[in-house]
Amino acid sequence: MNEEPFLDELRAAFQRMDPVPDDVLAAGRSALSWREPSADLAELTDESERELAGVRGSSGLRLLTFRAPGHTVEVEISGVGSELAMTGRLAPATVADVRLRHPHAVELSARADERGRFVLTDVPKGLVSLVFCLPDASCVVTSWILL
Amino acid sequence: MAGEPQKGVVPRPRADEERYAPREDVHLPRGADPSEVESGELVRRARLGDGAAWGLLVDRHAPLLWAIARSCGLDDADCGDVVQTAWLRLVERIDTIQDPQAVPHWLAVTARREAVALARRRGREAPADPLCFTDVIGGRPRSPMVGGGDLGVRRPACSPEEAALAREQVGRVGEALRALPRRCQDLLRMLALATSYNELAAALDLPVGSIGSARARCLAHLRRRLAT
Repeated sequence: MNEEPFLDELRAAFQRMDPVPDDVLAAGRSALSWREPSADLAELTDESERELAGVRGSSGLRLLTFRAPGHTVEVEISGVGSELAMTGRLAPATVADVRLRHPHAVELSARADERGRFVLTDVPKGLVSLVFCLPDASCVVTSWILL
Repeated sequence: MAGEPQKGVVPRPRADEERYAPREDVHLPRGADPSEVESGELVRRARLGDGAAWGLLVDRHAPLLWAIARSCGLDDADCGDVVQTAWLRLVERIDTIQDPQAVPHWLAVTARREAVALARRRGREAPADPLCFTDVIGGRPRSPMVGGGDLGVRRPACSPEEAALAREQVGRVGEALRALPRRCQDLLRMLALATSYNELAAALDLPVGSIGSARARCLAHLRRRLAT
């Protein structure tokens, strides 16, 4: 039995009921401009959450670990509402310029100290990725995460 | 940061994921132009900087990724974030992908994982909502209880006239689909959108082997509805 016309009808029905919004398609089409081909990708390898004692809801901490060949980035996300803080550590410890990428906000920057520690505040919700530029001119970029 | 008991660890690709991937993937028939460039080739072209190829890839696969996010009960904003996460995760590794053919399956796995994690976080933020799968398609609660019954997408109540108009807009098939159990709606939607069984299995998070019977059951369900 040829099901194809029936599947066409199904596709059309769902397209009418719940289409992908145009802005979602447009964002996807522009995603290619976020390539950082010269940076090493640090992939998200662990994520955990911790509720703060006595605090309900979304006020917990998110702890994320990203790993690239030769580098580890640990990040703690805290705060409530639309403005969050990211506190983290780059290992092995080194100074670095840190940039926070966000599709809908101004780029934030910070400096990792000689112990590799850095803090970013007033981080908006949404998709974010960190880029570290190291003293040897190499860069490490973390996988995109949704805050 | 270490030493704390870890809760809610994000699931990583499992060793047993192999079992979900048949050795030779079965490609589902598509209504589209048979001469269309296959997705692996679009990935290769996008890697060389071909923005048009990337755009085609996005337009082709976004509907399934959106459907995956919806199936987890997420609202428009969260569905959009899940879909965009999948695209950005593909962009960040586009230069190192070994097997561009596997990208559609990888996108479905990635969207599914992100949607499940986000639905879980949302569930914790609003612990009063015990359900994940709700009648999001059409955006209206099935029960007359407005506000309390529609947990996925909150929209205002609709008048009988609006309901009639909505029925007209979704058509006969849409009406029949809405009357199906949520799981069947999801399955049929993804069946119509997926380009292979492998991708469909990832979208539904079902083993490939169990899709055939579920698919037959849901199609029979829908045909019965359409016959009445």
